[in-house]
Amino acid sequence: MGLHHPTSPIIRLKCMELFHADPRDILMKRLKLPPWLVLLMPAIIILSAVVLIPLLLSLYSSFTSYRLTRPDSLFNWIGTFNYEKAVTDAKFWAAFGRTVLLLAVALNLEMLLGLSLALMISKVTRGQRALRTMMMFPMMFSPILVGFQFKFIFNDNVGLVNNALQSLGVTDTAIPWLVDGKLAMFSIIFAEVWTSTSVFGILILAGLYAIPRDPLEAAKVDGCTPFQSFRFVTLPFLMPFIYIAMAIRSLDVARAYDIVQIMTNGGPARRTELLWTLIGRTGYVDARMGYANAMGYVSIFLAIFFTIYFFKKLQSARKELGMGV
Amino acid sequence: MKTLLCGASRAAIATASIAAAVCAFGPAQAAEFDGVTIEAKLIGGQQYEALYARIPEWEAATGARVNVISIKNHFELDKEFKSDIAAGTTSWCVGSNHSSFASQYPTLYTDLSDLIAEDVVAEFVQANIKAATFDGKLVMLPRAQFDVSALYYQKDIYEDAEKAKAFEAKFGYPFAVPETWTEVKDQAIFFADPPNFYGTQYAGKDEAIVGRYYEMVVAEGGKLFNDDFSPAFNSEEGKRALQWFVDLYNAKAVPAGTTNYLWDDLGNGFASGTIALNLDWPGWAGFFNDPAASIVAGNVGVAPAPKGSAGVRTGWSGFHGFSVTQDCENKEAAASLVDFLTNEESQKVESAAGPLPSRTAVWDYVSEQAKDDPYRSEVLAAFKETAATAFAVPPTPFWIEATNLIYPELQAAILADKTVDEALQDASDAVNDLMLEEGVY
Repeated sequence: MGLHHPTSPIIRLKCMELFHADPRDILMKRLKLPPWLVLLMPAIIILSAVVLIPLLLSLYSSFTSYRLTRPDSLFNWIGTFNYEKAVTDAKFWAAFGRTVLLLAVALNLEMLLGLSLALMISKVTRGQRALRTMMMFPMMFSPILVGFQFKFIFNDNVGLVNNALQSLGVTDTAIPWLVDGKLAMFSIIFAEVWTSTSVFGILILAGLYAIPRDPLEAAKVDGCTPFQSFRFVTLPFLMPFIYIAMAIRSLDVARAYDIVQIMTNGGPARRTELLWTLIGRTGYVDARMGYANAMGYVSIFLAIFFTIYFFKKLQSARKELGMGV
Repeated sequence: MKTLLCGASRAAIATASIAAAVCAFGPAQAAEFDGVTIEAKLIGGQQYEALYARIPEWEAATGARVNVISIKNHFELDKEFKSDIAAGTTSWCVGSNHSSFASQYPTLYTDLSDLIAEDVVAEFVQANIKAATFDGKLVMLPRAQFDVSALYYQKDIYEDAEKAKAFEAKFGYPFAVPETWTEVKDQAIFFADPPNFYGTQYAGKDEAIVGRYYEMVVAEGGKLFNDDFSPAFNSEEGKRALQWFVDLYNAKAVPAGTTNYLWDDLGNGFASGTIALNLDWPGWAGFFNDPAASIVAGNVGVAPAPKGSAGVRTGWSGFHGFSVTQDCENKEAAASLVDFLTNEESQKVESAAGPLPSRTAVWDYVSEQAKDDPYRSEVLAAFKETAATAFAVPPTPFWIEATNLIYPELQAAILADKTVDEALQDASDAVNDLMLEEGVY
């Protein structure tokens, strides 16, 4: 008898309410969560799982002596040792400097070439679609393959460039494209520019299509030369597009790894060592993930700096055009 | 209907016959590892995968099944193993291993001496077994992929009487296939005609150049590390060894890009006919003499690795093998697979394509098989002689990491960014800091 307790009518009513209620209502009532938070919850959970938790874990590991091959070292707290080691290491700052150099040279070259390409294609009246598609070809190759392609092209012994130069009688020596300090960086920049100029080209071309005709015609009526029209009318209109391309590509170049890894692996004698070839080798080959993460966090400031810089430039360019912020 | 009945009755009769047979002879004996699945992570590539065609034989004999869950080159496998250790996902059973990498995974693999009979282990070349043993644990059994380098050369160069006369007049000793590294240097400088022809070449980056430097230090009478693994290469022997690389580069006797070369670049370079002397691995022997792949086919000679000033041959060696993980659920079955893949028959199959065996009996077998092939006999004789004094990399888990600190400094000396003394001092300091930081001493 004592085992059977008939439920009270009030409890039964509550149960029926809950049975018929929307599960989201139940969640909000029980946890007293505001509706906006409940709606955002799936995004928060997914972002936490794939971004926030790994980010926090890697931040934590940068304060430990964590080695991939010794999982127990994840709990060996060493404070700021890895950060001190990174910021006092001349090799790290040399790699940092080279990455900034690559970024500055590659971005500006890509911008200039992309702008020229876009201006030329915009003037073409027949076959413009085909040209646009052709311009995008380099973007379709995997960076790893681009690396192999240029490694072969710039090989000093059997490479295409040296053989061509020697056959044409330009030189009778084997130019060490991937060995000489300046030439090796040039070769890497060449490969980067070859593969990504079209990013600028496409975005700037989109900008050119969006330019209203009136200001250009007004400039012509006012007696502006073609250069003046370009400098004072076209270019200001294009600047927001250029800054968007700059922001995207700066993040890309700041994390440059694949092409450099294949072409020179940061060498020889660290002449082409960039941040991510150094960090990749430290983390995955040397297995020193704690130290690699510390270097990674210092490097992230580089990416953040360039992103903020280009977005500020973008905002001011939009303001100048009266597009608001 | 008649057909159906006939079929049915035939099936019934067959079932009855099997049942009768089982009753008469008892249940068929279950295979040793029936129902066991062994997960394996194996090295990929044409040279290595031919052996895996034997796996179904082992499966049929033992009743187990092999599931190859990863197949990559060793550098990629190395990264994967490290990630597995970090993530704790090490319950797969059999992994490809290499003597240069093995010391990095102290917790990953089990001691095979508990699982493989002593007399089986005794059948391998004992120098290899020693190099596969870390802290008393036999972590891998070697397959027929033993590597040591011998000297490949273009034969016709040594048949040119005028060249011989000019060489002797310049250097004061007879012109012949070099037996010492000093002779290699003299001849390489003598042959060089850049950018069309080079005397020799060397691997110029990563572990590869440190391995080459290591064997040269040993040949000069020095050592890379002391017994406590403190750096020992910043010595007179170490400086002489590095100077050899620097001199060749300065004399333009090696391609200008050699500091960027790895094994494929070197192999293809020699096959292109632009290199006179090439210290290289046994796996290239067939490629170099294949008319479809190599310009120098039919003109390739092979000599034992030359000696340094201490009268010691260079002989940096390594070998591939198989290991069983500590977390494998069925270590006996996994060890049985490793045993099978490294047994005499497997090594015969594998070494038939060119690679060198790691079992004493198979060395004799391949020599016998090659006796009617002069080129193959020459290759085997040269590698056998070099293998006799070969040595493995120092058994420290920080070998790869130390090489990553040493090689940029060697390159800096070769490219004249630093002097030999500065480069070796910097490399020695960096390795010393690493060992101190890791509490090695």
